[in-house]
Amino acid sequence: MKNTSFQLNGKTCSVSIDPVTTVLEVVRRHLGLLGTKEGCNEGECGACTVLLDGQPIDSCLYPIGACEGRQITTIEGLGKPDSLTPIQSAMLETGGVQCGFCTPGIVMTLTALLLQNPEPTRFQVKDALSGNLCRCTGYSQVVEACMMVARDSEGKI
Amino acid sequence: MKLQGLAVYGVDYLEVGTLHGVLLRSPVPAGKITRFDSSVAESIPGVRMVCSALDQLKFKAGWVLMDQSLFATGQVRYEGEPVAMVVADSREIAIAAVATLILEIEEWSPINLEESMTDRARLIHPEWESYLPTGGTDYPRHGNLASEMVADPGGVDAAFETAHQIIEDRFTANRQYQAYLEPKSALATYMNGRFTIHTSVQFPYNVRDRVAQLMGVRISDVRVIGHVIGGGFGGKLDASLEPLAAYAAKVTGRPVKLTNSREEDMLTCPSRENAIVSMRTAVDSTGKMIARDVQVEMDNGAYSTEMPWLTSLPLHIVSAIYNVDGPTRVVSRLWYTNTAPTGAFRGVGGTYLYHALERHTDSIANAIGQDRRAFRLERLIKDGAKSLSGQVLHEAGILSEAFQAMEKIAPWSSILSELKPNQGIGIVSGVWMTNPMPAQVTIKVNEDGTVQVVTAATENGSGALSMGVTQIVAEEMGINPRNVSISMPDTDVSGYDAGSQGSRTTHVVGRAAKDAATLAKAQLLKGASDILEADIDDLEIVNGNIRVVGSPAPAVTVAQVATSLLWSVGPLTTTSSYMTPAPAYDVACGSGVMFTAMATPTYHVHLAVVEVDEVTGCIRVIRYIVVQEVGRAINPVGIRGQIQGGVTQGIGLALYESLRIGVDCRYVERSLEAYRLPIALDIPDVEFVILEHPDTAGPFGARGVAEPPIVFVAAAIANAVSHALGSSFNDMPITPEAVLASLASRGV
Repeated sequence: MKNTSFQLNGKTCSVSIDPVTTVLEVVRRHLGLLGTKEGCNEGECGACTVLLDGQPIDSCLYPIGACEGRQITTIEGLGKPDSLTPIQSAMLETGGVQCGFCTPGIVMTLTALLLQNPEPTRFQVKDALSGNLCRCTGYSQVVEACMMVARDSEGKI
Repeated sequence: MKLQGLAVYGVDYLEVGTLHGVLLRSPVPAGKITRFDSSVAESIPGVRMVCSALDQLKFKAGWVLMDQSLFATGQVRYEGEPVAMVVADSREIAIAAVATLILEIEEWSPINLEESMTDRARLIHPEWESYLPTGGTDYPRHGNLASEMVADPGGVDAAFETAHQIIEDRFTANRQYQAYLEPKSALATYMNGRFTIHTSVQFPYNVRDRVAQLMGVRISDVRVIGHVIGGGFGGKLDASLEPLAAYAAKVTGRPVKLTNSREEDMLTCPSRENAIVSMRTAVDSTGKMIARDVQVEMDNGAYSTEMPWLTSLPLHIVSAIYNVDGPTRVVSRLWYTNTAPTGAFRGVGGTYLYHALERHTDSIANAIGQDRRAFRLERLIKDGAKSLSGQVLHEAGILSEAFQAMEKIAPWSSILSELKPNQGIGIVSGVWMTNPMPAQVTIKVNEDGTVQVVTAATENGSGALSMGVTQIVAEEMGINPRNVSISMPDTDVSGYDAGSQGSRTTHVVGRAAKDAATLAKAQLLKGASDILEADIDDLEIVNGNIRVVGSPAPAVTVAQVATSLLWSVGPLTTTSSYMTPAPAYDVACGSGVMFTAMATPTYHVHLAVVEVDEVTGCIRVIRYIVVQEVGRAINPVGIRGQIQGGVTQGIGLALYESLRIGVDCRYVERSLEAYRLPIALDIPDVEFVILEHPDTAGPFGARGVAEPPIVFVAAAIANAVSHALGSSFNDMPITPEAVLASLASRGV
């Protein structure tokens, strides 16, 4: 057991736990945030994607002990309860959400992409999504949502 | 809600005091259980219960045939079969306890499809004769032959004797895993003789039936409550962990939850079956097809799910679309093997059956030297064509229209002439169905003018309920779709629904919903006519207001009328049930025909253009086009999602996904690392054209849309690749190794 402190969705958080415990396990079981999903537990599907210091990671592979002093952002940390972020709204509009299980992970990945590269090409969007499996949509409408935000944002996310 | 991570899926659902169940699954595919010892596990603090076949109730269960038990009994029949269960305070304790269980198995040589097909292998179910069919009516089966359909109209061999040319092909298809992102789970509670199951499944009523069978109770003693589903695609139509959770809840008196790890899920999911298809066609000197002989061998796995019904599917496909001017014989067999039970995955056997038919069609066209598209057009069935089951396809002429629509968006000859040396083009077409099974919808009109739709239908993400049925009800009743809510499934509350399968929700549930909405509207208009003192026939409902047609004068709201009715005649609630009438067919068309016709048929043409990388052997799909008959487009964004998603799964099947059975009857691919699902970079934007010929029975004319986009993809891609390389690719998937081997043999 070890004490690890980090920022979670902008608030200071501290857990006393085996440092090898995955970020996914901490977030879901110990912090009760169920928006981040477990799809495979082996870093293949990306449903568990969260941002660590703004970078997308597979939280099922990342030990909480390595998060000391760092910033973790989960899907719950985006937008507000009554309002969607631009990428979330866009995905709703283009039909990029079907069963929705991959959706939090994809939203995190695209949020990080747009922060770093506000006007990505279609290829760059698809490339950024290489770590996110979606079984329902076939990706096109997801990519379109991102391109829509890129076009409309003029640099603001 | 999904976008914000707020949707509660089956895996997310928990109750206070939930215990966790973990299974001991058979590590080997076949053998006799000689020793089971749980004494260590039982003494571990936090372990509440350990059970196996030694304790469980001896009830048998099954969707079509009752050949399954809760646990492996006496012998194991597939790797992954549940042998025992530990229930503990936490998943970690349960997992640790499972590791202490002693299980000894005297292994038998496992039987795969090739061996089972000989009909001389060891009996996987020595007691097969004692198994009872669930529906009461038995069907042709014996020993390891789980089901058989034979359709032999006579004259086939005679026709082959007179053939100018005989073209013969053999096709193999590996299994495909549904790979929904949300692994299976179930939480059960037990109180006063009733089980309550919380799960995310496509067919709550079916899961209810399976739990009732295995627990030995009436179906009404089981309540299934549905939660948001993270994908299903057919893999979540039947029960899996629910009966186990139910049993544990009964014994412990606590809520019990089980969740599959991804590996468990992959090893035990009822994947699309592997199959072998042999096709032979006799052709006369003018190039006319005069007879066909087809044999299909399907792998059932160790137990029967709905597969026995699907054994008859080949009858509807193998001579479906391009006229064979003579008899077709179809022999289709389903075999028990020592592998995980197989089941439905979007399109079921249609994917490998159309693959076989269309590869064979290209083969024949090439053999007689005719252009592949022209060959098809010349023999295309027309309105009124009879299928091999005797079903009349009244609107088969839509196929011709579909080919023309395809030609407009992708002109065949000009694409052919512009292809680069390592590119190829394939075209395929076919008929598919809309599952006809029953639905019931209840509409409650609330005092605030909003509408609650009560149904056990499941929204699996296609939008059939959240968009389709919502729009149908709103349109019919003249209210804003935002004022229509759809309930989650609860078998205690909503009437029977056959679940999200076979594209039935928009058509069947939509029809029941529309009929219920029509009844509700009639009551509202009657109430309004009393209030407004106007004739019912002069009234309309527009955006929640009931008024005299064309008049801006005093109106009354739906809310006001609903409230008024509540306090005068009672709450405004209407209910309607619907099931698609079964199309007529010829009952003498064959033996063991359980799947008798394609209900509410739809027609399709697909075209693929591919490029071969001669260094890596990888195939890139450059262009993919779908022409699809939808009846009436209720929601274009939803339709696009189903076409794009279905084609993507088809591309996975054609090129990437391989769930192989090893020589030891274990799966070779056991994780998502090895089982290669398509990623965004692999998939083109699918182009599509929809045709709308309204179906008279469908709500606003709608037919089923969501299942068929996958059905024809492997066929189109295989034809394109075969064209590109000038050699026949008759096995699914087409791997880079196979491509490179073909290139090597060409001397490239």
